Order: sequence, then C-alpha cells, then structure tokens
Amino acid sequence: MNSLLVQTIIAYLLIFVVPLVLPVAFIKLVGLSGLRTLVTYEARDTPLHKLDPRLKVLYPIGMGILSILFTWKFMLIVFGLTIVPWFWLRPSKAKIRVLLVMIIGPAIAGFWGQGMYYLPPPPIHFIYKFPWTLAWLGSPGITSYGMIFGLQQTSRVLVTVSTSMLILISTDVGDFTWAFERFRAPPHVGFALTAALRFLPEMIARTHLVLRAVELRGYDMSRPRWFQFRRWPDYVRRLCRCVVLVTVPLLVGTLRGTTTMAMVADARGFGTVKRRGSLRVHKTTAVDIWGYAILATLVVGALVLNHLGIGARYYG
Amino acid sequence: MTPARADGELRAEDVSFAYVGAARAALRHVDLQVSPGEVVLITGASGCGKSTLALALCGLIPSRVHGELRGRVTFGGAPLSGLKPHEAAQFVGMVFQNPNLQLINQTVQSEVAFGPENLALPQPEIAARVDWCLDVTGMAGMRKAAVVTLSGGQKQRTAIAATLAMRPRVLVLDEPLSDLDPVGAQEVLGTLQRLARHGGTGVIVIEHRVDEVAPWADRVVLMDDGRVLLDQPPRTAWADPRPWQAVGVGVPDMARLAHAVPGAFGPVLPLSVEEAADQLKDTWFEAALVAAAAQRPPRAGAGPAATGPPVLAWDGVSVEFDGKRAVDDVTLAVDEGEWVALIGANGSGKSTLTGLTVGLGKPSAGAVRFRGQPIRPGKVFEHAAQVALLLQSADDMLFETTVLKELEFGFRFRARPKDPVLDVAEAIEFFGFAGREADSPWELSQGGRQRLALAALLVGAPGVLVLDEPTTGQDADHMRAFLRLLDRVRARTGITIVTVTHDIRGLASRAARVVLLGEGRVRMDGPASQVFAATGELARWGVLAPPLARLQSALLGPAAADVLLEVDDLAAAVLAHRPGAARAASPGTGALRP
Repeated sequence: MNSLLVQTIIAYLLIFVVPLVLPVAFIKLVGLSGLRTLVTYEARDTPLHKLDPRLKVLYPIGMGILSILFTWKFMLIVFGLTIVPWFWLRPSKAKIRVLLVMIIGPAIAGFWGQGMYYLPPPPIHFIYKFPWTLAWLGSPGITSYGMIFGLQQTSRVLVTVSTSMLILISTDVGDFTWAFERFRAPPHVGFALTAALRFLPEMIARTHLVLRAVELRGYDMSRPRWFQFRRWPDYVRRLCRCVVLVTVPLLVGTLRGTTTMAMVADARGFGTVKRRGSLRVHKTTAVDIWGYAILATLVVGALVLNHLGIGARYYG
Repeated sequence: MTPARADGELRAEDVSFAYVGAARAALRHVDLQVSPGEVVLITGASGCGKSTLALALCGLIPSRVHGELRGRVTFGGAPLSGLKPHEAAQFVGMVFQNPNLQLINQTVQSEVAFGPENLALPQPEIAARVDWCLDVTGMAGMRKAAVVTLSGGQKQRTAIAATLAMRPRVLVLDEPLSDLDPVGAQEVLGTLQRLARHGGTGVIVIEHRVDEVAPWADRVVLMDDGRVLLDQPPRTAWADPRPWQAVGVGVPDMARLAHAVPGAFGPVLPLSVEEAADQLKDTWFEAALVAAAAQRPPRAGAGPAATGPPVLAWDGVSVEFDGKRAVDDVTLAVDEGEWVALIGANGSGKSTLTGLTVGLGKPSAGAVRFRGQPIRPGKVFEHAAQVALLLQSADDMLFETTVLKELEFGFRFRARPKDPVLDVAEAIEFFGFAGREADSPWELSQGGRQRLALAALLVGAPGVLVLDEPTTGQDADHMRAFLRLLDRVRARTGITIVTVTHDIRGLASRAARVVLLGEGRVRMDGPASQVFAATGELARWGVLAPPLARLQSALLGPAAADVLLEVDDLAAAVLAHRPGAARAASPGTGALRP
C-alpha cells in the first residue's frame, strides 16, 4: 500500500508539475509587459530590415511547408536554418528572454504531453509507469517514444513560430501592408494586421493598468504559497471574479478608442480606393535575390526529395 | 478642389447640433470663421460644446457622428457637411486629444504616409508630402522611429504631421496639450505657429491651458452651453475678465495681473511674460516688487518641523528598467500632514517613485517605508490600505454598477477601518453624491467619476493620498473645484498628500513643498515659492516655471529667491510698496481671486 501511495504521489507530480510550472514561469519571466514587447517592431538598420517585404511574407510560409513535409532528422535541419537569421537580427535582451520562454515553454509542454498520451505500438518502453490510481485518467505512463514524438511535433510548430516572430520584429507593419497589396490582397487585410499589431501592445498595457487599479481599490489578488491548499480555491474564485470586474473599464476604454481610430482612418481616406499608393519603392538588391533563390531552392528541393521518398514523412 | 476653395475661409454659419437621443443641443447657433494663416483659440468649460464644434468644423458631423445638424459649415463657400470624411479632411484636418488613439501605424514615416497612400497618390507626391510634413513638425530626424518609443510631444507632432499630409487648409486640434509636459507643449505650439505663419494654414486650437496658447493666438473664442459668447482678438477678449469669470474659465495670469494692478501696465494688455516684463521694466512696479521682495521674511522651510518619523520615506532608492535608471539614488521623506508636489519633465521618474509606495515596481537598490515599515514590492493589496493611489485615468478605477457599491467595494476584501475619519455615509454627503447612490458611476460627469474614485479610496482610511496627474485635461473651474475639494479633505482628515503633476500653475503652486525630479534624481526640494523662483534650474530639467514666477524672476534677477505664486498676493505686495501708497488693501486686490 505504501508503495502504491508513493507511486501515486510521484505520478501526480509528474503529471501536474509541467502544467503548473509553465504558467508560473510565463508570469515570472514574461508577464503582461513581456507579452506587450513580443510583437513590437524593433526599428533598426539591419539587412534583414531592408529585405523585400514580399520575401518576408513568403519566408514563414515556405519554411512552414518544409516543416510539414520532412521527417524528424530533416526537420532538425529546417529548425536549425530558422535559427540562423536571429543571429543576423540580434534582438534586444528583453525580447530574447521573452522569445526563449515562448519557444521553450511550448516545447516542454509538447514533449511532456505527448510523452504521457502518445502510445506507440507494443512493446512499449515506459520511463515511468503510472499505478492504477492514476492510469484511469487515460495515461498508462511516460514513454520515451512519446516524448521524442512530442519534441518532433513541437519543433514543426516552432519553425513557423520562430520565422513569424523574426518577421514581426524586423518588419514595419506598413511594409506588410505593401507586400499584401503587391500580392493583390484587399487593403483591409493589411489594415486589420496594422491595427492589431499596433494596438495589441496598447491593449496589453491597459489590461495591466486596470489589473493594478483593481488591487489599488483593495481587491485581493495576492497569490497563496504553494502549500496553502485551502486558500487556492478562493484565489481561483477571486481571479475569475476579477475578469468580470476589469471587463467594464476595459470595454469602455476600448470602445472610446475604436471610435476615434475609425474616424481617423476615415479622415485619412482609408478604403476610398481599391489600389492604394505607396511611399515605399523597393529596389531589388542582391540580398533579396539570394533570399528568393535560397527559399525557392529549399521549397523545390524539399518537394523533389519528398517525391523521391528521401526524408519524406510516412502517412500510413 | 476649386481655386476659390484653395484660399477660402472656413465658416460655420448658424450651426446647431444635437446628438441622437440628447434632450439638449450641444451646439446652438454657432457662427465662426477662420482665415488662412490665422490661429484661433477656442476655450470654455468642460461640456460647453468645444469638441462637438471641432467635429462639425472638420465635417465628421454628421457623416460619422450622428445627430441633428442645422446651419452649415463651408470652406471657400462650398459646404463641407455633405462631403465624405476624407474629402473634408483635405480642407479641414482634425488632430484628436489622445495621440495614442490616432497613430495607427508603427513608424513615424509610415504614419504620415498613410493618408496620401490611401488617396493613391503617385509615389513622388507621397514622398514629397511626407518630407514636408516631417520637416514642418520637426520630426524629420525621427522618421524611422517606432511610434511606441516616442514621447508625448513627439507623438502629438506625429499626429499633426499625419493630418497635414492630407494637405488641409485648416487644422483643428482638440486639447493638443492636455497630456504634455511644458516642454512637449512648447514643441507643439512652436510647430503650430510655424504652420500658420509660414505655411498659411489656419489653426484652431481647443485648449484649457490658455496661458500657453494666448501669446500665439490671433483670436480667442469663448464658448458656453453650446454658444459662442465672445469672439475677439486676445487683448480685447481679456480686456474685461467678467465674462470669463462668469463661465469659470481661466484668464492668462499676465492679463489678471494687469487688471489687479491698474495703471502699472501700458495701454496694451500683456499676454506673455516677456510682454509683461518689457512693459514693467524700469517702472514703479519693478521698484515696488524689489522693495516687497527685500521686506519679505526669508522662509525657513516647507512647513512646521516634523515631530515624529516621516509617514513616507525613500532611502537611497534606485529603479532600473532594461538597464536604464528611471530613479537614481533618491532619498526623500514626507512628514505627516504635508502636501508635497513632485514635478519634472516626462520620464523624470515621478510616477515610478510614487508607484513604489504601494508596491508597484521593485527598487533595484534602497527601500521605501511607510511609517517606518518597509513597503514590499508586489504586495499592492496590502499597501493599498495604507497608501491610496489615485491614477490619472480615474475611469480605470471604477468597477461597480452603482455609486454606493463603488464606495463599499474595498470592504468586501478587507475589514472596515475601526475609526474612519470618513465613513461611506459621510463620504456620500461630503463628495456630493447624496441622492445618486443608486446611479451608475458611468452616469456621472468626468469630474464626478474622479470624485467617486477619490472618495472610494478615502473611505478605506489610508495614511497617505498619492495623486497622479489629477487635474490633467480639466478646465479652470473644475480644477479649482478639485483643489477646493482637496483642501476640504485635508481639513477634515489631516491626510498627507503627494501629488505628481505637470500642472505647475495650479496644483504644484498649491502644495506647501515642491520636489523637482530630473533624470531620476531629486534636483530641488523646498517651498513652492522658492523652487519656482529658480526658473533657470527648472528650465534645465525641462520644467517651465509658472508665469508669475517667471515675471518676478525677469524683473528681480538673482534677487528673486522667493516668489509669490498668486496674482492677488503679488498685486497686494506691489500695491503696498507703490510710491505714496497707503499701506492698506488696494481696491484691485481680491477682484480676481477665483
């Protein structure tokens, strides 16, 4: 019985430690202010900033395709390739910290989750087999095969995340809009993206402010220590109620803001023509040509290899 | 565009407007005209219809703001009211109050290019417009800067540049100075003057801060209850202060002084400190001022010597953000019952410093104490019972559905104070909410919501009240009412007040003690009358002293170690030392006390 109890405690810890640690790590290392800087454009004078915006739009799409087509070993190469431009960009330390949490967090979650719930065909090698007291939840234990599978799947997602983040940080939204319009997308697509990326950090900052204001008004948002089990349900209840409380000031502020923004957009003639003009004149540079060539080579090469069955995923 | 329009006047002819569902018209029979190159200041109490008039003048009424419009707005003889917003924007451009809400793009140049791009202009034309707009607003050096990194003044100038890119003939600005420190305000006003004088753009500025705009304006329009009460050149407009007093709108200090000391100034009513100083140089006024300053006993300090430990203390506090020091080794103590104003340019560390008193932020060095007990970073709920912080946007501090519930809000989570100086029932009476207990906070006026937020904090019986820019965007009447309220609160509760403010003329002058912060350090600390006398030091740290202090400094030179900050006090002092004057109260004294 003792053995079963100890096994159960270990199993519960294994199951819940990651889901509990990840949000805490996010709050401690990133928080709302970190999230605010995550999608903020960093104006600099690097070759990446000057790259053809159309290529920048195509880059995450192309690399995303590669990540889907290849098997794990080839995937590692693709993932490595997406890391290289970051050294070129050299983002600020604050942004690197946030990016690392945003990349490592999902990686650990995928790695851990699949380790418990992805079951390979028998014989299964368990790193830790859960006792019956926990197995009824659906997971018989943690498998090495599942963990590796989780890592592979997460890496595929991270290829798109990494490339998209790189582009968001190094591209002025106006350039995105320009690229979309060159691809014949309606101006509203670019405007929606512009408004979202411009005001998302503002919205996060405002949420942060209102949450502070609730506390200043005497609302208890203090978190209990981890061992104060009896206080946790009340904390969760207070958190939920807080969401309701902050909704009103947030909503009022947002509605006021959008009214002004709509009037500004109208006054500046947005939506009056189907094809907007552009300040930007992009002269194709050698770097652009190299960029297009590399991206095209990678995608075409991947398709050819896939067709030849080299590094291709098996969809049995 | 017709040639007639290109050089035309903007005219509002018998314009009346009522919002949908409103019982009362926001504008009533308004007539106004603005010529090219003219700067018109429109002012009036909050809610008098200034912003509505701005929306009507730039054609957003009725196309985007719905209601019943009568009369007509024309430019160059052709009506604006029927035009689409972007068509009207090429005649009359509007810059809204909050630049954050009107900067849609991420960089300065993409923001300015947004309008011309939407008009599908050829690239060389867009580039020429962007270059011109950035040059004229002084933003050319920051064209690639991200909007989020700009200061308040730079954001406002970017918003002006973006509006100018539509090539309007008239620019309407709704309270462009409200969130700016004096330096930012001067940047914006300088830009507007260049536009009007050299670019021939008509400029309409809607503003409460009349002292700063008055010297630049060609005409002043006073509004009340949706009507234009007065539309005259500034010197004529302020020649008689009575209409201004009647509607509770401020008169520039120099004009008030001229009225309070009859005969001291020449025939021309002064509007700026420079004009006043020129007129008063080598006159009996200057001699009387020197005599009054020499006879004034030197002040020992900001108030009575403290008997106990300070209620708030910052001991060697530093705060760093991303490796930059926002607060640098600040040591400061606030005694029980004091009223201290923290002043400084934007980014000088004022709000960071006060935020620490409730646990917002963490010092990288040093400690903050409340009555000797350390304030623990992050424990906002715990410290909010001791130190009440009223945010600049009081609306963000209201969460309940009724006034009564709002006042009771804090007691759901902590015990009621055993011996409150002001309980909920008393607060309802004291703050003027009797009969409105069941009303929604959102049914109150802006001033009412600010009072409610303040009342809700005070019923928790805090030891210190910290106010972050409480008078921003308020007209003179509301500001005076708020200051009177604070005086009553102090008289009733004896509470210590710490104010963070740009409002040098009103709020900071009211405080017994003023602390100047510059680049995160305490640069001056003393009675308001002494700190504001150091106009050069204030300017060095990006703060413009009140007009009266600058006038005394200009006339007294280095002898101005202690200045008078109220018009009536200054008038009484010089009149008492006027050659041959009896040492009695002057008839002019008190005539203009708010």
